[in-house]
Amino acid sequence: MKTNYRIAWVHLTSRFRQLAVATLSVTFGISMFIFMNSFISGVNEAQTVITFTSLAHIRIYNDLSAREPAKLIPDTVAGNALSVVNNARNIRYTEGIKDAGPILKALKKQKAITGISPQINTNVFIQNGVTQISAALSGVDVQKENKVFHTADYVVEGDFFDLQKHPNGIILGKGLAQILGVKVGDNISLTSASGGSKNFTIIGLLETGATGVDRSKAIVSLLAARQLNSKNKSYVTDIQIAVSDYNKAQKVAASMAGITSYKIEPWQLGNSQLDSANKLRYIMSFVISVTILIVAGFGIYNIMNMTVNEKIKEIAILKAMGYSGRDIVIIFLTQSIVIGLVGGILGLVLGYIISVCTGYIPFRIATSTTLPINFNTSDYVLGFVFGIVITFLAGYFPASKASKVDPVTIIRG
Amino acid sequence: MKALSVNKINKYFYVAQKFQVLKEVNFDINQGEFVSIIGKSGSGKSTLLYLLSTMDTDYEGAISINGTTVTGKSQNELAAFRNAHIGFVFQFHYLLPEFSLVENIMLPALKLKLKSKEEIEHRAVELLGMLDMKGTELKKAAAISGGQAQRVAIARALINDPAVIMGDEPTGNLDSRNTAIVFDIFKELAHNKGQTIIAVTHDDEFAQKSDRIIELKDGKIINE
Repeated sequence: MKTNYRIAWVHLTSRFRQLAVATLSVTFGISMFIFMNSFISGVNEAQTVITFTSLAHIRIYNDLSAREPAKLIPDTVAGNALSVVNNARNIRYTEGIKDAGPILKALKKQKAITGISPQINTNVFIQNGVTQISAALSGVDVQKENKVFHTADYVVEGDFFDLQKHPNGIILGKGLAQILGVKVGDNISLTSASGGSKNFTIIGLLETGATGVDRSKAIVSLLAARQLNSKNKSYVTDIQIAVSDYNKAQKVAASMAGITSYKIEPWQLGNSQLDSANKLRYIMSFVISVTILIVAGFGIYNIMNMTVNEKIKEIAILKAMGYSGRDIVIIFLTQSIVIGLVGGILGLVLGYIISVCTGYIPFRIATSTTLPINFNTSDYVLGFVFGIVITFLAGYFPASKASKVDPVTIIRG
Repeated sequence: MKALSVNKINKYFYVAQKFQVLKEVNFDINQGEFVSIIGKSGSGKSTLLYLLSTMDTDYEGAISINGTTVTGKSQNELAAFRNAHIGFVFQFHYLLPEFSLVENIMLPALKLKLKSKEEIEHRAVELLGMLDMKGTELKKAAAISGGQAQRVAIARALINDPAVIMGDEPTGNLDSRNTAIVFDIFKELAHNKGQTIIAVTHDDEFAQKSDRIIELKDGKIINE
């Protein structure tokens, strides 16, 4: 065995240039594999982060449309009577979550949940002089809201946490403030759908990167929102929940089914396009990087084939001396495996370096000011494994051809 | 004891059409004999040697070497058998150019793995000395003359102390001085070490001096 490795080693080292070319092609393939997957996963995550600035992993709310309107007169009436109801009015007695306390308490016991934020979401009119614009108002508990949505990171002017101190403070989306023509420190007047009206002072501006949100969102404290809508102390419209792994939101939502009869909605339900876009990007980067690796494999196949042709006389004499076909396979396969291992390790290093460098290229996305790059161990492991498998296959066919060399035809000439 | 016995060998080539190269070839060779196989080009003498070498297995009849019937064994069994029992010297030396002379000589023994690496190396150096090439141990095979390379090839053939040494025109590329050296080595091995030598040759002088001549013509033995 040792002798076979020694022969393989001498073959490798006596052709340094070919060895370098073959190794570099593997290095390049694996580093591209790692870079592309790190980059795409970074992009996907940045996209998801932007999405989750306004979308919770799980949302609990009162789904009015799912409930049948109350029936005052039964359809079938006993006896010879006919019931006719014209112009039936849809009467709903419940709106929002009347008593959120027990639900919040039960949710706290769930392990997968990392943040719970009760909200009051309503549509309001904002008035600044004669300008009147409708906006989506969120009444939030500042600390809890920040845990779920990291809102403080997106408040570009002022401080999100000041909302706790200012009962009349309001934070506006940057686009919305522009439309209204207001700046921090200005006063505006809000009118709710139920007719309540209240003055607020702008204490901050919000920029999430999602234009639709920035043009319509306004945030006040939970107490101020209850006051504006004249609701009781435990009233909320939504309970927004963050979980430790957003990909598992559906599972967590299913496990919460017993807690409340209100609608529990994981984010995937309403946003399947996000999920599929992420998956498509992964598939694309995977296909491209595997193609690069396969091309590298062809390079190795070519070089090993040339080596076998070059060394065919030596193969013949080794076989004449009593080396078996298996020995010859080991000699040549070892060479391509060494190329794969060396190229693979260099590829891991190069892939890491390219990723780190890309992470410094300026680019504004979400809260980041550089191109997004993720460092997942799985990308590195997978890239290395693919590299080794492909060099193994690329080396196996020439090696198997070498093992079948007929020494008689070579030696007789 | 018979070192080699050949029983009714028939061999065909199938190039273009079926052509019989060897016809009912029969002979025995005793241990310690130095035999030359001669004949004109196309007489089948090389073909015969490659059948004896166990590398060509496509024939009718039976061959046994050192009491072992080699006909019908698998390729891997034959490789192991060649490794232990047969040494080869070809017209061209076929040394591995990137290896030193000692390493080249050691290769068959490293495959056989009967002795430790140190013992094998010691023996290889001893063989080089015996063939009058002391001091060249660490030279690369690409850096020596043809005559020297052929002596190294002989040393390689001897490293496992094979029962039979086969040569295909072993002196074909050598000048008369080196031919004489190789001949003397063969004679010494056959008569003093009891190793059997079978050499295919064009060189009549070489053949005349050997113990026995087998002459082939058109695939048949015409003179023994």
